[in-house]
Amino acid sequence: MRLARILLTITVLLYPCLGRAELVLVASVRSAGIELNHERAENLYLGHTTTLADGTPIKLIDLPNGVLRDDFYLKLTGKNPAQIRAYWSRQVFTGRALPPREAGSVAEARQWLTDIPNLIGYLERADVPAGARILLRLP
Amino acid sequence: MTRLTTLLLSLAALATQQVHADAPSPLSLSGFGTLGAARTDNAARAFRANSVSDSGARSAFDLSVDSVFGLQGSLQIGNRLDLTLQSVVRKSPTGSYDPRVTWAFVSYQATPELLLRVGRTRLPFFMYSDSLNLNYANPWIRPPVEVYSLNPLSDIDGADALYRTQLGNTNVEVHAYTGRSAMNIRGGSANLDKIHGLKSSFNWNGLTAQISYARADMSLRWTDTFSQNLLQALVASGHGAIAPELSGSDGKTSFMSAGLQYDQDRLLLIAEIARRNVDRYIDSGIGWYLTAGYRIGSLTPYLTLARQRETAPVSSAVTGVGALDNGLSAFNAGRNKAQRSIGAGLRWDTGRNVAIKAQLERIQPGPGGLGILLPEQSGDYLKPDGPTHVLSVAMDFIF
Repeated sequence: MRLARILLTITVLLYPCLGRAELVLVASVRSAGIELNHERAENLYLGHTTTLADGTPIKLIDLPNGVLRDDFYLKLTGKNPAQIRAYWSRQVFTGRALPPREAGSVAEARQWLTDIPNLIGYLERADVPAGARILLRLP
Repeated sequence: MTRLTTLLLSLAALATQQVHADAPSPLSLSGFGTLGAARTDNAARAFRANSVSDSGARSAFDLSVDSVFGLQGSLQIGNRLDLTLQSVVRKSPTGSYDPRVTWAFVSYQATPELLLRVGRTRLPFFMYSDSLNLNYANPWIRPPVEVYSLNPLSDIDGADALYRTQLGNTNVEVHAYTGRSAMNIRGGSANLDKIHGLKSSFNWNGLTAQISYARADMSLRWTDTFSQNLLQALVASGHGAIAPELSGSDGKTSFMSAGLQYDQDRLLLIAEIARRNVDRYIDSGIGWYLTAGYRIGSLTPYLTLARQRETAPVSSAVTGVGALDNGLSAFNAGRNKAQRSIGAGLRWDTGRNVAIKAQLERIQPGPGGLGILLPEQSGDYLKPDGPTHVLSVAMDFIF
């Protein structure tokens, strides 16, 4: 019983680190007029489309492999990490779609979102650079 | 080949230079592969992953059936133009390991919904035809041979258009293509010319449905000793009129398929049926399979039921001469890939980008032929025996 209580306490303490952080989809600085709903965002990150609803081409970025990326895809598409990797490998190796550009780190993703207009990416809410606009929250 | 290698190497060099740039690179380089071993419980039967190879796995583990390695580079040129190259190394039907260019196309995003491609792409006759080498994307060790052996040719040189749009909640893709294809096979060569095909797929949440139709002119020349002797004997005995039914370049063929895939949460269901109609040189047949899988964490156990049956033999001609008719029967039986199979397997997603799989199949060949199995003596085609079991293990990876 005591062991169970200790484990429960540890879990509760660790829980904020395990995906409690709010993920947000953002448009980079100097990106005018980008609007995005959940469905469009899902279609973009699954490679079904490469444009916004009004037909404007848009570039996407991905975070490096890790908890944040897995959490993002699970919340946006409902696919677990193994499913999303199998899915994207088929898109890439059948010449259907190119995956989002992968940043080397969260810092690099922030840098891109600050420097390059008309880019969409996802970050923890606390990491969103000044001037970038939150398009969608994925609590 | 050297030219392609040089190109891939220079793309790689370019990619390394781009690493420190502060903008996303326009170049992506990636690869995939399978290290697989398979064996049967019958030394007199070789198991093959296709119907046209001249060798396969017997009663010792064999690495050549499923192992494959592919490298792909894509270069974005501006906002609308992409260049994609892919080269794959795996044992060819005639036994060589020369790399084969499997994709080499320029694609142009004409409108947000329309993608035009020119060059070499994959023949998309069936649901997973364009990812046949990419086992990482599939639950099985290899796509079920009962359907996928119906078309042994893998690439098409030509042009295609992919139209993708959304109708309500449904993602629709219409793929129209045209071109030609050629391949050397066991004891001969195969060509498809004037290929015209259309494939449509509909995706709604986890459910994907697709239908496909294609037709083509077909050449199939059987150059092995047995076929050559049979053809000469037919001509010499005044039955030369039968020869153009067996080998030549005046065939017409069509491929039809319909498939369903459900992949959401824990459940994975796949069903596909395909039909090949040919007027000469090879038989007509119909194949189907059903796969059900269930995800438990990183493990996906699955079961597959599959069958292929012949709907028309290569030739139904009769000469009345015993030896010739026996020869024709053997010729027909050697091209009849009818079989039934049941298979159970497990996919284990061990880590990022790596999956380990094990699969056991029970193949009952016939009626009328040995299915995908290759006998030691061609006379065996006429007397299919009991089931052969195939055990396969593989590690699939992408990078």
